[in-house]
Amino acid sequence: MTSATTTSNPNFVQRFARDHSPLVIALVLIFMAVCIIGAATAPNFLTVFNFKTIIRDAAIVGIMAIGLTFVTLSGNFFLLSMKETAALAIIAFATCMAAGLGFPMSFLITMAIATVAGAVQGLLIGLGGNPIVVTLGAAGLFFGIGSWWSDNLVVSFRRPHGAEWLGTGSTFGLPNITIAFVIIAIVAELVLRKTSFGRQVYLIGANRAAGRATGHENFAMAIKVCIIASVCSAFVAVAFSAQVSSAHVNYFSSEFGSSGDMTIMVIATVMVGGNSIMGGYGSTLRSSLGAVFISTVDNMMVLHGFNSGPRVLAVGLMIVFSIMVFALVRRGSRAEE
Amino acid sequence: MTKLKNWIVSNPDLAFAILLSGCVYGYFAMTNEFFATHRTGFAIMERFAVLGLVGLALTLCIIAGEIDLSIGSNAALAAVITVRFTDSLGAPTSLMIALIVSTTIGMIQGYFIAYLRIRAIVLTVGTLMLLRGVALFAAEEKTVMLTDFRVPDFISTKMLGYFSPASLLVIAMFILVALFMNFTKYGREIYAIGGARKEAVAAGVSLKRPMIIVFAISGLCAGLGGAIIGLRSGTAQALGLQYVLLAGTVAAFIGGVSILGGKGGVIGAAIGTLTVNFLNTGLVFNVTPAFMVQLYLGILLIVVIMFQTGSRVFDDSQRRKQILADTDRMAKLLTARRQRIRSG
Repeated sequence: MTSATTTSNPNFVQRFARDHSPLVIALVLIFMAVCIIGAATAPNFLTVFNFKTIIRDAAIVGIMAIGLTFVTLSGNFFLLSMKETAALAIIAFATCMAAGLGFPMSFLITMAIATVAGAVQGLLIGLGGNPIVVTLGAAGLFFGIGSWWSDNLVVSFRRPHGAEWLGTGSTFGLPNITIAFVIIAIVAELVLRKTSFGRQVYLIGANRAAGRATGHENFAMAIKVCIIASVCSAFVAVAFSAQVSSAHVNYFSSEFGSSGDMTIMVIATVMVGGNSIMGGYGSTLRSSLGAVFISTVDNMMVLHGFNSGPRVLAVGLMIVFSIMVFALVRRGSRAEE
Repeated sequence: MTKLKNWIVSNPDLAFAILLSGCVYGYFAMTNEFFATHRTGFAIMERFAVLGLVGLALTLCIIAGEIDLSIGSNAALAAVITVRFTDSLGAPTSLMIALIVSTTIGMIQGYFIAYLRIRAIVLTVGTLMLLRGVALFAAEEKTVMLTDFRVPDFISTKMLGYFSPASLLVIAMFILVALFMNFTKYGREIYAIGGARKEAVAAGVSLKRPMIIVFAISGLCAGLGGAIIGLRSGTAQALGLQYVLLAGTVAAFIGGVSILGGKGGVIGAAIGTLTVNFLNTGLVFNVTPAFMVQLYLGILLIVVIMFQTGSRVFDDSQRRKQILADTDRMAKLLTARRQRIRSG
């Protein structure tokens, strides 16, 4: 479904048409048509500046989605605490910066807190707790700790500070956060493809029993992937805080961003990218492309002058649509579980 | 006494829930002189009207082995619809419209979950966002408000000491759902697909019917809860009511459902919700900031989950030990018999 698959298989279109039901093909065609028409009619859509804007918008959600992809690929569904982990991290970072600890120290402390947060969730999931329920509880816990720590106030620190290069700086005309997104995407993809850890993620996600039989328990894996996801959301929090030189626990809640709840946006990105939610199938590249895709559609609708209602609706439709297509495709191509 | 003991042994989860709610109530009743009064009783029942519905909806979903994440969005949509149309159509009609919409949404979700054979969390994450969009659309991205705040006063009038029409309606709903779950074939099917889905399907239970029923009830409960909140406060926000998912899940888990499905019941849901309500109300009485409530709920959920997971791990290890011991005994018996045959 992604461009990568298209180029590696010359007969992709024919194979796709043969393998899938007319319903699926019709859905995909309608969707593509809507996108092309939208892109062609939106004013100023096809400019270099707009393209840069799209990638920059995709970066924040994209980095979080890359972290979450590890969790999803390993068969642990998703974490409902992405937004709250980021909220806790942003408070930690801003408090440290305001206390004058400097960027490297604040960054390390934030990452340490995120690691602990991820490890706790991973431990509970690894012991056999349901990921959704565990992280729902953890979300309440982290958000509460963040609010309590900051007294539910805005924590701000003065410019110039040591983190400006990450928040507002740019290299070769590209914002540094965009470059970070690209680097993280490449590293994550290499880790998944080339390292034994990456292959274990796929193994445990695809077949937990086989993983256990070959000595790869989900216990250790759940802890590792949860730490990766938490660290990714903490990184986003640091970058965001560096940009606005302040922090509040509500920065990642509904008022932030264009399309509502951050956690749901991240999960949406993973799903729209076409990763199997049951694990074992997908890649971080898909999530990155999903982020860019959602960002493109959002950008297109902004250029057309839509309000937030239709935009949230469009993202919601995209998720439901991709879930249905992938469920139908899977049902048509594989033996039922 | 022996009767009580037997009951506790046969319903450990329910006994635990009652004990926990008693502890929470007792703690606040001791630390705050205003807590154990009639007025507080009324306030707790008013909260029960909303949270009880969400707890009930989530309990049913978890019994069926699924979870409905879109419940907050569905409630927000119902609230927006009710408040928006009350001015032009009157409260009862707009309430009916909201309930029909939310129930239909639930039914459609249930149908697709069964038809596509996907997990409910996958679809409901999508509909969570979709319904937020619809609600934003319906509210025109504003906070909708009633022009005449006296119109919906009837749902909060005090009756019979502790109740209002809203809470009486919710209690009636609990009783109906309890009868449905325990005494009808359809209700038992819901338990069946939750506890042992493969076996149930192999035995001829259709997946579609129970799924549609569960999600229809879940949608109805969410819609009714949202509509009551909307009418009571006179305002509704499309992006509001996100907190009900956490509170409802905590209530369901205290009430003794298992994430594996097939366990728990309506009485548990009621007790679980009351526990959460005691906690909520008590914290308000002790002047705790709102965000701390979320912290306590999070801790409560994690503790309950740890308890459940721990007992499952313990059960598993006990069973494994039992099996090993059985095999050893059988091996010994066989060896003994073989020797007897050889010698005799």
